Amino acid sequence: MTLLKVDQLSKQFKQHQAVKKISFSIDEGRCVALLGPNGAGKTTTIHMLTGLLRPTSGDIQLYLQGKQVADRRPHLGYLPQMPVFYSWMTGREFVQYAGQLAGLSRQEAERRTEEWLEIVGIQDAAKRRIGGYSGGMKQRLGLAQALIHRPKLLILDEPVSALDPIGRRDVLRILEQIRQETTILFSTHILHDAEEICDDIILIEQGEIAVQGSLEHIRQSHSEPMIMIETLNEAQAKALEIAIRNKPYVHHVASEHQTLRVTVSQLEEAERGIMTEAVQHQIFIRKLEAGHSTLEDLFMKVVRA
Amino acid sequence: MRQFGLFYRKEMLEMARSYKWIWVPMVFLLLGVMQPVTTYYMPEILKHAGNMPAGTIITMPTPTAGEVLAQTLNQFGTIGVLVLVLSMMGIVSGERQSGVTSLIFTKPVSFIAYMTAKWASMLTLTAAAFACGYAGACYYTIQLIGSLDVGTVIQAGLMYMLWFVFVISVLLLISAWLPNSAGVAFTTMAFIMLLSFGTSLLSRYLSWSPSRLSTIASEILTKVETLSSVGPVLWISLCSILICVMLAVYRMQSQESISAKA
Repeated sequence: MTLLKVDQLSKQFKQHQAVKKISFSIDEGRCVALLGPNGAGKTTTIHMLTGLLRPTSGDIQLYLQGKQVADRRPHLGYLPQMPVFYSWMTGREFVQYAGQLAGLSRQEAERRTEEWLEIVGIQDAAKRRIGGYSGGMKQRLGLAQALIHRPKLLILDEPVSALDPIGRRDVLRILEQIRQETTILFSTHILHDAEEICDDIILIEQGEIAVQGSLEHIRQSHSEPMIMIETLNEAQAKALEIAIRNKPYVHHVASEHQTLRVTVSQLEEAERGIMTEAVQHQIFIRKLEAGHSTLEDLFMKVVRA
Repeated sequence: MRQFGLFYRKEMLEMARSYKWIWVPMVFLLLGVMQPVTTYYMPEILKHAGNMPAGTIITMPTPTAGEVLAQTLNQFGTIGVLVLVLSMMGIVSGERQSGVTSLIFTKPVSFIAYMTAKWASMLTLTAAAFACGYAGACYYTIQLIGSLDVGTVIQAGLMYMLWFVFVISVLLLISAWLPNSAGVAFTTMAFIMLLSFGTSLLSRYLSWSPSRLSTIASEILTKVETLSSVGPVLWISLCSILICVMLAVYRMQSQESISAKA
């Protein structure tokens, strides 16, 4: 069942069009990654979804049991990229305050605060002022305040980008835990994080949707036969690239130091052709691997195009 | 209404934890006490100043108790206003600039509750500080200079308090309008000073100006026949306070991006 529907959403800042008529929808119970390089328009999109920023044009609709709701905010939980709290409050006070603002009664807010502080693992620091919290603790506190009112949709802006590996692991573990009950939309520029916990991917680049769909589907439909060749040095790689670039079996060549990643039409034919070229140009091949392109290749292709 | 209570309690707690509840009333108390005390000891102070030629005789008419209190109000009008503005300049703009508003306004909160709670908390602090300072001034005036008429003192105090309410309403509006706190303080001070200056310069045309409130308060204390009728000034002040608060709410609601950082 559709939970969120975004239709032709655009945002124009003075000179710069940050988001260009994007449309997508999110089904209930899914975990969706909004993927894209820095500056692609992820944060702008998220700000419009949460109501912090007014769209220039377009429509955002949230459905509850098939009915559109007028005010999205009671059903949303939001964690910004760099959450800022009142530094003079304690962690416990802030989560409680957030819960009460979201409409919980005092007792209910108090009870759930304890629950969530424990889930995110900062109950020991709950008595301390937030001013003394580390980045990782603030992120956890941010999760607790976003989830205390049991939102239908949890929106996270780069939830793990600024964390160290342990903090990152912990936050992903918490997300894994809550995705049973809540639909999640989170933005990231790291493909790996998206692959780890998401069902669907929306890849945006320069304010436009480049690819969207379920992870499985994208993996299959965008997977192309690919050959990875490692040569002796950069000069040889360059020479080989020039030699094979215009062959009919080659679709696309990406080079990085002494390694070439060649997207081809057909593996066997291409491999034979490349070998011939290598022999002809006296290029030493250290390693040759035939396989299929990964999501990362797709991501790089879209981002660099 | 529930949210108003929540926001109001939060503001009160913040003011307590940032020690505003201590230092703002302290400044007012000091200001209030200083005026009667220095007036009383002025002949002594001058005598000990030491740089007078020998044989100088200074005769000063001892001011009446009402006049001393009116002078105290003048102190509140300059340094007092400055302290109020500086202590509360970031009340909205500070939260927007830090980015904490992006957590608050993604919750289903009402802009009216948010802004009016801020206004009410400013009012509470101002009233407490003013009451402290005014009470201190009255006490020392009675002790050192002479008795005061209770009715007059309360009347003048209320008039003056209304002027302060006008000042904080303007401050709230400008804090909602401008993104940084220093700019808020400067603009508010400039506006208040221009208004006071303009009113005294063009008193014939601006006899309804809210800044007349402070003059009226002094006139009540010194029992001078008042220039303007009090009625229009009161009405205009109350209306401008209401308009300031409403505009501040409207401004918060209508801006494109709630967090200044977006």
